[in-house]
Amino acid sequence: MSEITMPRLSDSMEEGTILKWLVSEGDEVKRGQAIAEIETDKANMTYEVDTDGTVSELVAKEGDTLPVGEVIARVGEGNGAGRSSLDAGREQDEPEQKDEEPDQEEPQEEPEEPEKPEPKPDQRPATSDQPSSNGGERVKASPVARRMAGEMGVELAQLEGSGPGGRIVKADVEAAAKDGGERKPAAAPAAQRGEAGAKGEVEYQELTRLQQTVTRRMAESKATAPDFQLVAEVDMSAAVELRKRLKEVADPAPSFNDMVVKAAALALRDNRRVNGAYRDGKFELYSRVNVGIAVAGQNALVVPTIFDADQKSLGHIAKDARALIEKVREGQVTPPEVSGGTFTVSNLGMYGIDSFSAIINPPQAALLTVGALKKRAVPDDRGRIVARDMMNLTLVCDHRILYGADGAEFLARVRELLESPLSLAL
Amino acid sequence: MPTMRYREALNEALREEMQADESVFVMGEDVGVFQGAFKVTKGLLEEFGERRVRDTPISENTIVGMGVGAAMVGLRPVVELMTVNFSLLAMDQIVNHAAAVGYMFGGQVSVPMVIRMPGGAGHQLGPTHSHSFEAWYLHVPGLLVAVPSTPADAKGLLKAAIQDDNPVIFIEHETLYGQKGEVPENGGASRFGEAAIRREGDDVTVVGISRMAITAEKAAETLASEHEIDAEVIDPRTLRPLDMDTIVESVKKTNRAVIVEEGWPHGGVGANLAALIQEQAFDWLDAPVMRVTGADVPMPYSKPLEQAAFPHEEHVVQAALSTFRDT
Repeated sequence: MSEITMPRLSDSMEEGTILKWLVSEGDEVKRGQAIAEIETDKANMTYEVDTDGTVSELVAKEGDTLPVGEVIARVGEGNGAGRSSLDAGREQDEPEQKDEEPDQEEPQEEPEEPEKPEPKPDQRPATSDQPSSNGGERVKASPVARRMAGEMGVELAQLEGSGPGGRIVKADVEAAAKDGGERKPAAAPAAQRGEAGAKGEVEYQELTRLQQTVTRRMAESKATAPDFQLVAEVDMSAAVELRKRLKEVADPAPSFNDMVVKAAALALRDNRRVNGAYRDGKFELYSRVNVGIAVAGQNALVVPTIFDADQKSLGHIAKDARALIEKVREGQVTPPEVSGGTFTVSNLGMYGIDSFSAIINPPQAALLTVGALKKRAVPDDRGRIVARDMMNLTLVCDHRILYGADGAEFLARVRELLESPLSLAL
Repeated sequence: MPTMRYREALNEALREEMQADESVFVMGEDVGVFQGAFKVTKGLLEEFGERRVRDTPISENTIVGMGVGAAMVGLRPVVELMTVNFSLLAMDQIVNHAAAVGYMFGGQVSVPMVIRMPGGAGHQLGPTHSHSFEAWYLHVPGLLVAVPSTPADAKGLLKAAIQDDNPVIFIEHETLYGQKGEVPENGGASRFGEAAIRREGDDVTVVGISRMAITAEKAAETLASEHEIDAEVIDPRTLRPLDMDTIVESVKKTNRAVIVEEGWPHGGVGANLAALIQEQAFDWLDAPVMRVTGADVPMPYSKPLEQAAFPHEEHVVQAALSTFRDT
């Protein structure tokens, strides 16, 4: 009998929600078979079992949110797991206890069974600034309340305990189950209507897990990173010309944003601190250049990663970016795909925004925002006013690792690459 | 059903078993001519004679040792020690011999012996006469431990103890000897390891050891009348074997447990039972298992201090309430 626990599917994941079980109790499962869809703080993904056996119990119900490491299911060997007899230690004269409840069985774990999937070392996410503790306080609930909450699909964290010292007791769970019914996971944010006041009737929306993550990380970034901005105007005329020609040969044709990603990636290679992070009193400088692109989707903000963007051709970056954006919009992006970024590019040019500041994606050293590409009247070399394709780039820097001159050097290099874009096409 | 006192019930049990089985005999300090310090052996010397009702010197280890030897060669001795405190003088014979002999000789011999003794506080007998040492004997494998709280159980369990082939520590409660209760006519031996549910209830399980089963029952009435809490009161009657089935079943129903005993808190009967309950019914508990015990001091002689040193109804009520709310 082995216990399947809530896996840590991303470095910042503290808990996950079982969206859907793909197997039922009694089903035979094979190692590698997807058994559940789990919603993490970043994405929805299927979880594959790492052992062969028979599903003896689905401990967590659909919609349950459990901390990483909590048992979500038990898988026995073959059919009907045998009962362990650990009763030997009990007093000899005592009438033998009948274990009617299967969950009283002592799990006989094979040492290698219940391992948690670890993020691969080469995909060490940049988002791992979270202390890896379980985080949050343990909900104070009696054992029977805990068990029944699991069975009835009641979320303990949302209850107020009526027992001594605020302990959640059985009666609280029963009451919650009675009036709450089954809670749906974050997929459909529950909207509540409040009292009408001076602001009229208020609709309250619960945050999805993704929104909770964004909320937490953005506040954290703003509270900890002393940031400043550098703005540069880039003449994209040559890039526009290049793109026109690439369109004839490439499908999909790289976007201007892809060019920015490529330019940034090349510049990151030469400006190592920009491709780093300030963390715990140290500078972390990363050997891989993984550029995240901010994508709006799933009612929140997701930053999928283009790994090794400095090594990839513009066409390759374009393909990767399309695929990732598509996945984000469909809610199919997986935690590894949103982890491991070392730098972020955010683009609101398509909304006609000329330039903007943004919040650093912690613990990254900097973030580059991209404004709209517009024809502007600018003086040329000889002082004549000409119409050029201009675009603003803003570099938001964490001053703990990136000083003004470092940022400026980097941004100047990005501009240079975009203004003579042939090197991007290599 | 005839009503009789606890001591009379014990006396009946002895008499009936001595009548039924020639190998049963009684031995102890003042059990013959004086008819027992608490008059439990009243009339036995007259009926069965000096050979089967033997007065002994004040020498507990020897009395028990003689009993062990007699039992090993086929008799069924019922040894009386004047109080449980004095049994400590016989600890060597009880623990190293009575309990161990059957194991040491691979079951070739058994020790079908009963050691009767009163324990418990309430009569101002001071720290050398009034303790509750159930836990000490419960600790020893090889000994059965009975703690009857009613005349009916006193009789039924003593008969069972005499008929049992294991050494039995039979702890009577000193303040219960005068207690009256109904005892079934021609009732046979009770079964060891069968708890009695003294009162049924759904809200909290209260396990009372020995006299504390009575205290628990009174507390249950108060809980019902004043706090609308319906307590289930369980008297385990024997501590080894212990009827965990009944206790666990009750805890699964009520989700709360309070254990009441007169003995000291550390390493006590309640400490042991609390451990067993959480091992076997953890997922059914709605509150920590509570214990109400005697005070962690040698029993005082002073009446008010003695009264303050063992549990009363209000302590049980408080403990039960604390499993429901902040008190």
